[in-house]
Amino acid sequence: MSQLGRVKQWNTFARCWHLFDAAWQNPLECAPSIEKYLKGLNKPIYHPLVDCGDHVVVINSKQIAFPGEEWRRRVYFHHTGYSGGATWTPAWELHDRDPTMIFRKAVYHHMKGNLFRRVVMERLHIYSDSNVPEEVIENITNQIPPLRSIPKTLGSYSKEEIEKYPKIIDYPEDFILSKN
Amino acid sequence: MFKIPLSGILLGASKVPTKLFVPSIGLHVSAPMKLKEIHANKVGGKLIIEGAFVPSPRKDHLIPNNSECCSLCNLGLNVKHTDVLILSQFVRPDGCMMPQRITGLCKTQQKRMSKLVSMAHKAGLMCSLAPANSKKDTTKRKLWKKYNTYFDESTIKVYESHFKKIKENVILDYVKSRNQEIN
Repeated sequence: MSQLGRVKQWNTFARCWHLFDAAWQNPLECAPSIEKYLKGLNKPIYHPLVDCGDHVVVINSKQIAFPGEEWRRRVYFHHTGYSGGATWTPAWELHDRDPTMIFRKAVYHHMKGNLFRRVVMERLHIYSDSNVPEEVIENITNQIPPLRSIPKTLGSYSKEEIEKYPKIIDYPEDFILSKN
Repeated sequence: MFKIPLSGILLGASKVPTKLFVPSIGLHVSAPMKLKEIHANKVGGKLIIEGAFVPSPRKDHLIPNNSECCSLCNLGLNVKHTDVLILSQFVRPDGCMMPQRITGLCKTQQKRMSKLVSMAHKAGLMCSLAPANSKKDTTKRKLWKKYNTYFDESTIKVYESHFKKIKENVILDYVKSRNQEIN
């Protein structure tokens, strides 16, 4: 067996740990790709009854992004079971209370409801920032590629870069420049 | 003698030719063809405020536009709300959008750009262009505004009347060229 093939076999039969940076990612979009690693769908030995999934460590879950007005419009429903016990919480309010909950719910609700779902969810480790315990970090061997690129702010560019960037319009001839 | 409308002097002061200058009013009307910058100097106990002519800071890096359409239509760019280096060119130092008579864009592009600028501001990508007393840190905003948002550019409305005119012009040109060929 070749060296590469041997490593592939190790990775298939071992429980690997993957890292995912959730900064500026939509949790609803990246739920399917994370589910793939949690269940082991990327492995050739996959079968629904074979427990071959990997661990996924999600960091920076506080910095997830939603499109447009989704933070206000998206509502999470809960019912206590008593009469009048229904509550509707907007996404931003839920995120204030627990910054990991929206991500966990997104992955949980994307998976099919069966007896394995809660077992698979135990392998998902979500952290609101980049402070991860060392016993978790030392296991990580792979990083899941982000789906969205992080947008660059104007402040991150230097003054020279902004000045030398090609200009589309010029000021009109009788324009009064205001000082910054 | 010429009759000068007063509003013409006040509003378009720089566009009034020097021949129509009337000294009896006491208004100094000049026709500067340069950009101006206002300087405030303190000499002794006196405050002197003067407007000095300066060359345009964008002169060296300007893309020349020789076509009939506006400078943005000429380039044919697909501008996104994350392209802050382009959007910041249409914005004043306090972050507000410049009007159409200054930007010189067509109506469609002006509306599109102003919406993209507001998207970039909401996403917190142009925080350095803001009034002095505003909160420049996006994480200190109120309620849902403190969290990261991105926008879909396809939600910007396209006004059909603009394209109707273009279509009509294309058809008219085609008919003209056909008629010339037949003749």
